[in-house]
Amino acid sequence: MSAVIEARGLGKTFRTGRRTVHAVQDVSLAVSAGEALGIVGESGCGKTTTARMLLRLEEPTAGQVIFEGEDITHRRAAALLPFRARAQLVFQNPFDALNPRFTIRRTLAEPLRNFGIPEAEHAARIDAVMGRVRLTPASAWLDRFPHELSGGQLQRVVLARALIPGPRLIVADEPVSMLDVSVRAGILNLLRAARDELGLAAIYISHDLALIRYVCERTVVMYLGRIVEEGPTAELISSPRHPYTRALVAAVPVPRVDQDRAALPIRGSLSDTPQGGTGCAFRDRCPHAMPRCEAEAPALREAGPARRVACHLEEGAPS
Amino acid sequence: MSLLSVENLQVHYRTGAGPVRAVDGATFSVAAGSILGLVGESGCGKSTLGRAIMGVLPDAGRIAGGSVVFEGRDLVALTEAQRREIRWRRLSFIPQTAMNALDPVQRLRAQMLEVLMERGGLARAAANDRAAELFRMVGLDPVRLADYPHQFSGGMRQRASIALALALNPALVIADEPVTALDVIVQRQVLDVMRDLQSRLGLAMILVTHDMAVVAYACDRVAVMYAGIVVESGPVREVLERPLHPYTMGLTHAFPDVHGETGELVPIEGSPPNLLHPPTGCRFAARCPFAQTRCHEQAPPAVTEGEHMVACWRADEASALRTAAASPATWAAVVPA
Amino acid sequence: MRAARAAWRFLRSEPFAFVGAAIYALIVVTAIFADKLAPHDPREILRVGRRVARYLPISPEHWLGTTSSGRDVLSQLIWGTRSALQVGLTAAIVVVAIGTLMGLLAGYLGGWVDKLITRLADIVLSMPFLPFMLVLAALTTPGTTVVVACVALLLWPNTARVIRSQVLSLRERAWVEAARVTGCSNTRIMFVHILPQVLPLAALYGSVAIGWAILAEASASFLGFGDPDTISWGVMLQEAYANQALGRGAWNWFTPPGLAIVSMVLAGFMISRGSEKLLFPKLADK
Ligand SMILES: Nc1ncnc2c1ncn2[C@@H]1O[C@H](COP(=O)(O)OP(=O)(O)OP(=O)(O)O)[C@@H](O)[C@H]1O
Ligand SMILES: Nc1ncnc2c1ncn2[C@@H]1O[C@H](COP(=O)(O)OP(=O)(O)O)[C@@H](O)[C@H]1O
Ligand code: SF4
Ligand code: SF4
Ligand SMILES: [Mg+2]
Ligand SMILES: [Mg+2]
Repeated sequence: MSAVIEARGLGKTFRTGRRTVHAVQDVSLAVSAGEALGIVGESGCGKTTTARMLLRLEEPTAGQVIFEGEDITHRRAAALLPFRARAQLVFQNPFDALNPRFTIRRTLAEPLRNFGIPEAEHAARIDAVMGRVRLTPASAWLDRFPHELSGGQLQRVVLARALIPGPRLIVADEPVSMLDVSVRAGILNLLRAARDELGLAAIYISHDLALIRYVCERTVVMYLGRIVEEGPTAELISSPRHPYTRALVAAVPVPRVDQDRAALPIRGSLSDTPQGGTGCAFRDRCPHAMPRCEAEAPALREAGPARRVACHLEEGAPS
Repeated sequence: MSLLSVENLQVHYRTGAGPVRAVDGATFSVAAGSILGLVGESGCGKSTLGRAIMGVLPDAGRIAGGSVVFEGRDLVALTEAQRREIRWRRLSFIPQTAMNALDPVQRLRAQMLEVLMERGGLARAAANDRAAELFRMVGLDPVRLADYPHQFSGGMRQRASIALALALNPALVIADEPVTALDVIVQRQVLDVMRDLQSRLGLAMILVTHDMAVVAYACDRVAVMYAGIVVESGPVREVLERPLHPYTMGLTHAFPDVHGETGELVPIEGSPPNLLHPPTGCRFAARCPFAQTRCHEQAPPAVTEGEHMVACWRADEASALRTAAASPATWAAVVPA
Repeated sequence: MRAARAAWRFLRSEPFAFVGAAIYALIVVTAIFADKLAPHDPREILRVGRRVARYLPISPEHWLGTTSSGRDVLSQLIWGTRSALQVGLTAAIVVVAIGTLMGLLAGYLGGWVDKLITRLADIVLSMPFLPFMLVLAALTTPGTTVVVACVALLLWPNTARVIRSQVLSLRERAWVEAARVTGCSNTRIMFVHILPQVLPLAALYGSVAIGWAILAEASASFLGFGDPDTISWGVMLQEAYANQALGRGAWNWFTPPGLAIVSMVLAGFMISRGSEKLLFPKLADK
């Protein structure tokens, strides 16, 4: 099956004043129709920047973005319109993602207008999408303003706005982290249903593997701008290979009293990590660091079926 | 005897439309050296409760009834001067956004010294040593005392505000959502700092959160709040494994478990009632799949069995309700207005 | 409707702004009903018997006395509100329009557009108001158009600056990005999504421009660059001055227009002062 979206060696370097931040380096991934890919990693590791490049909200400084076979890496804003209709974003903070002066109806009509869908079809499409996000009857919601809705309801509207142009790809950046625990499940269920029923390619971003596992079959783990491990989500959780993935799995909170409370197999925090230099970016926090890790950066290599890992420990390990 | 015991506490906010009963009958206690988790959705009154115990309510808020007995004294009856004496020294507070606890335009050393010298009466040299010790205690390099808060990451700020709260060796720390905004690794590290302080210093803590998994990881006891009322409380194992209140059952099913089933998750539809006009009867009734006529008419009384307290008319059927609550269909059937 | 309620709540909480708004309201009402309120035609030369009624003092007949040419001062003052409002409102509208447009473009587009507009604003702000107006008035036919043009040309940078900073923060909001993702062009984002958010702020700065414009018109008239045929507070002052009202102690002639101008300017100032809290809440907290 051919990929809906593909990134090849994607990179983004920000230059702010004197500082240069390599936010994303050499990220390659692909997502097919009907498939959901998770991106996990701790705060600041480049998840959002990657997503923004895939959606061309940010122009990559290296590599390529291929959408449905076409290279859109450096396409100009005006020429991106057809792509915009086919690749949509679900925002993290529902309280900030809707124009406060637009009614829900206007918010949903806006993409239809922009993408040139005839006015006559608007009402029917709005009704249909409101049904899909379970805000029914639509008439009870459409004339309200965002401040009249709760966080969970707002996030449904955000999802509806993303679905209404009929996208082939949907990217959700921490879609439930701002929501109450009681309503998170509802949004996650909707995301899962939308992907299954519409056959979308989906990318979910989170730092929480429990959540990613619920919606994604395959996951990439990022650390400091790079992919350090990739594999089927269930396998990543049951047998993490990269030392960072192991720490990430161990850190996920579980709602059970009897659990492993041993210290995490990781030291320090992201800010202690050396930027640049040779060697593995994780070496200062890695419990298995060896002299070679100082000298040489590990490459992302195949490590079994559908599995990629970037760690020197993997060499010589059976694959 | 418990270190802190809160009895039928009521806190109201004055608003243009009338009083908001943000806390409306909260009862629970914290034993010395133990961690109590306070859980519930946003707007259920968790922060208000924490602030009321500390005596740092905003101007519009006031304690309208009940008692807060801490180390044998009723804090509600104390004067502001007496409360100030207790704050920081015996009882301290980490507000919901760590940034609020820290002054953005002062280096951390200056902030630590201010508390240690002015409130704690330490000499400068002793205060400096203590500041370094506190930083090491929460896993920060004392060198970073020279930094401004904005030079810290979110997790480091959270640690720094814990260090500040611990400066004068309090017996109880109230931490309002200290890990909510952090990513999982940092969250775990901060929780480990808290557990470590508990076992080394015998520190007691109220940890406000909305995540049952955080409670399971770090707490000894838990109090579940809904719409201003503590609806269930008890030892963590009791409450998590044999919840008696439908709201607690809902919370435990609402979020994925990384090692558990990947079946359908179960949301609790709707949102908590407006506390300006709380419903008569059980406040959870509008969202409860097990509500009966009497639930809507009369508020259920709190009943205690051993250490496990619950306020639900159908608590005696809890084990049957638990089975039903595990099925998504049960919750999907409820359509709150 | 929501905006009206918000404005009312704001006025009630800010005494400064309330007084300012009250002054404006009073003047608007006076202007609307000028023909009903004024006891005389402001241009009519009044007579006592056969003599022109020059320099009459305050009396029940003429509450503010008469001028050197026998005209009723109160009536002139009342009719003066019309020209004051006309000048003030036109100037305010032009200031708001230019300032908002500039601020929007600078804040949203950034880059060289921003640099250019900011530089232009700096230059304009460094220009002295009165000399600029006098030169402009001398080069063209005197009249209210010059005054309005002057106020607009010189006052837009204040509006542009606040609008720009407001737009800079709005631009980072997720819903603006959402508009982009859902296919909005930059023009549409600026004018359909962002503009409505900054209009209240712009209107506020416009209200300050009203006072300025009236002061400018008065100065121009006073210095003889006004249109002598209009009835305005500035022309009243100029006439009083030319006829040595001051020397004659005819304070009933020159004080009222002077006070009217000052209160109008103050009103603008008070509104902006009172709204600082609204616009820069952090400043007010400290
Ligand atoms: N516009 C920008 N200018 C400069 N640096 C930036 C910019 N945007 C992001 N960065 C930097 O790029 C890195 C990656 O940021 P990104 O937002 O992608 O992280 P993230 O993984 O999404 O984190 P979080 O979980 O906190 O959302 C960070 O170091 C960040 O500070
Ligand atoms: N300053 C205030 N004035 C009026 N109402 C308030 C104020 N602060 C909080 N509330 C109300 O009190 C209730 C409890 O709020 P809060 O204690 O912040 O809940 P939580 O911490 O559980 O999210 C909510 O209904 C909230 O809207
Ligand atoms: S390469 Fe070395 S330092 Fe990096 S993760 Fe592997 S063992 Fe650790
Ligand atoms: S009292 Fe009734 S409505 Fe309330 S939680 Fe119990 S069963 Fe549900
Ligand atoms: Mg992010
Ligand atoms: Mg709170």
